[in-house]
Amino acid sequence: MSTKTQRYTTPQPCPHLSDYRAKHGLKGYRVLQKCLKFGPLGKTSIKREQNQIPKCSFCLKSHGRLFVCLICANVSCCGSPNSNHAHLHSRSEVGHEIAVDIERAELFCCVCCDQVYDPEFDMTVMFAQIMVLPKAINGGSEYSSKRRKIDYKQWVPNSRELLLMQRGSSPLGNSCFPWGLRGLNNLGNTCFMNSVLQALLHTPPLRNYFLSDRHNRKLCQKSSPSGLCLACDMDAIFSAVFSGDRKPYSPAKFLYSWWQHAANLASYEQQDAHEFFMSMLDGIHEREERDQRGPRTDGNGDCYCVAHRVFSGVLRSDVTCTVCGFTSTTYDPCVDISLDLDPYYGGSSMVTDKSLGKGSGTSTLIGCLDRFTRPEKLGSDQKFFCQNCQIRQESLKQMSIRRLPLVLCFHIKRFEHSSIRNMSKKVDRYLQFPFSLDMAPYLSSSIIRNRFGNRIFIFEGDEPDACSDSSSEFELFAVVTHTGKLEAGHYVTYLRLRNQWYKCDDAWITQVSERVVRASQGYMMYYVQKMFYYKASDDLSSLPEQNHRS
Amino acid sequence: MSMSKEDNNSFHSQLSSHLFSDLLDSLIIDVASECHRVARLGLDRNLEEEEEELRLSAQARVMVADSSSNCETNSKYTTDIFGQTHPAVASEIFECMNCGRSIVAGRFAPHLEKCMGKGRKARMKLTRSSTATQQRQSRGSPNSSYTPYMNSSSNVHYSNSRVSNGTSGMMMDEYQKSSTEPTEGTSEESR
Repeated sequence: MSTKTQRYTTPQPCPHLSDYRAKHGLKGYRVLQKCLKFGPLGKTSIKREQNQIPKCSFCLKSHGRLFVCLICANVSCCGSPNSNHAHLHSRSEVGHEIAVDIERAELFCCVCCDQVYDPEFDMTVMFAQIMVLPKAINGGSEYSSKRRKIDYKQWVPNSRELLLMQRGSSPLGNSCFPWGLRGLNNLGNTCFMNSVLQALLHTPPLRNYFLSDRHNRKLCQKSSPSGLCLACDMDAIFSAVFSGDRKPYSPAKFLYSWWQHAANLASYEQQDAHEFFMSMLDGIHEREERDQRGPRTDGNGDCYCVAHRVFSGVLRSDVTCTVCGFTSTTYDPCVDISLDLDPYYGGSSMVTDKSLGKGSGTSTLIGCLDRFTRPEKLGSDQKFFCQNCQIRQESLKQMSIRRLPLVLCFHIKRFEHSSIRNMSKKVDRYLQFPFSLDMAPYLSSSIIRNRFGNRIFIFEGDEPDACSDSSSEFELFAVVTHTGKLEAGHYVTYLRLRNQWYKCDDAWITQVSERVVRASQGYMMYYVQKMFYYKASDDLSSLPEQNHRS
Repeated sequence: MSMSKEDNNSFHSQLSSHLFSDLLDSLIIDVASECHRVARLGLDRNLEEEEEELRLSAQARVMVADSSSNCETNSKYTTDIFGQTHPAVASEIFECMNCGRSIVAGRFAPHLEKCMGKGRKARMKLTRSSTATQQRQSRGSPNSSYTPYMNSSSNVHYSNSRVSNGTSGMMMDEYQKSSTEPTEGTSEESR
């Protein structure tokens, strides 16, 4: 197993480990399995009596790292290359080269003086750990997400479709600028709406959906004439924006429809772009729910509507009892990820600082994600009821991403509302965000694996074919920025089309260099999966023709 | 056996510093062991790519800070990439889908707010549901508890003639609202 399956690369064993395995097989591991002790938070060590202090047989000290020989259980220490008593032991007894770290249950080769790895050993440890781990009485919640995935295949029209297109359409002609680039008129403090609309107009799966006529507004209006349908209004905007007309478009009808949907947000004042985005997705979803006569969800309980198909992911929340290790898991769908900026630390305006990254005090998106998924100790006033202990205990909470959406929207919480003083303020701090993002470390599979010491093992949540790198790699394609104060600010969107960045400032579309985008104050960042997968659906008509035949 | 006070103290402080250094070593080895495993198993993040992104961003910030002091990039009076210029307030004119009036795009939102009866001022009043509006319309009585635009003292009789554009007086809005109700005739209004 030297290939990168399950995200690991099992390293080649050193000759001493190979020798040991050849001679003793798994005997030593099995014996050791009975001597393991597991802490509630995943720390594995060798069992010993409370008053029994392991001492190095050579120096009789208990300093540094202590190892127990797999063959004769002799204890030796390895403090430094000069004082490597473990090595001495291997020299004194032939074949006694492999030992185990008492505190950490890691294999150690005394000759190579290095930690070594064996999948069988890890498996042995994990099996023992699983037996000991407290389980939920009802078996716990298992998230079954058996999605058959079909590779993305580009659609090529057949001759009939070609003829249909030739007859039913007229070409737009040439333009040196990408299609779909069109300014949106500000209708009076509506830059919050324009900025999000620009991002959505160029969200690849959404754009493909509407441009492929998947929501035909004329048919939709025919089936329910008086109905309010935000998707129809979106369809109208897509048609207008991709029509080739470059004069700025006024999304007036959309505003009207949206205000009818979101009555509480309908007023002539600046709104929050994120709130608008949420409200809009909700509007598209609601209408879809009302219309569907058939099952509204597919076999897995996922919503069919385009808003959810594009943006919906699943978050996993684990609450672990710090006393017994019992973990309670819940899954929640999400359409975006809201991240807190790191709390204030002085002087972060270090534009001229030469040192990189975290050292210089720059906030980064990766940093926010690290914080989002790190284990958080719930306060003593928030003790969680542990089913295993049957009393309230102090707990750790950890978030992770069970399933990534096709398009990932990050919302940076820049607007702080203080309910005490009934006022809000804006956090202007710069946040660095990457153009290419790998979400693998934040997946539930990675987080859980890390919790168990990254042992080489197939954990719950590892999907056999989904662990290839490409499904967790994302590319940035739109950034919604906010400048100015809370009450008197302005939203602008930067779009990446054909590897060129454009600034969409209401009606004004200009070309900007990459560095302007990097230096901007990101409020919402939109990332799309580098490689698409088409989700296998029962409704075959939603698949491109090619897949029918295959 | 009989240690002086200083000896006792130094012994204790030695002991505590030994203890501390043991704990510290243990912590360091914990981290080292975990990192070693992560690195050997190929689980570590692609730090090179991350650092490259950080470097590019830092560089970008410096360059943008420099260039913005030279030229104005933010002006709304620039020409867009298609060679067009636009006024600060959007000048396109279209019909309001609620009342049918011709509205300037840049002022559409404030118009629509009043037109639909939404917004802060309207919300300050108690009930403003569409049914309440309809009730008011059918009754024809200018009940001031519904909207501030209903001036109860106005006994003006509106004729059917078109109201000129641009006047956004409160009474006019009310007239416009009622004229869009398909079931109401203007007779409702004249009381």
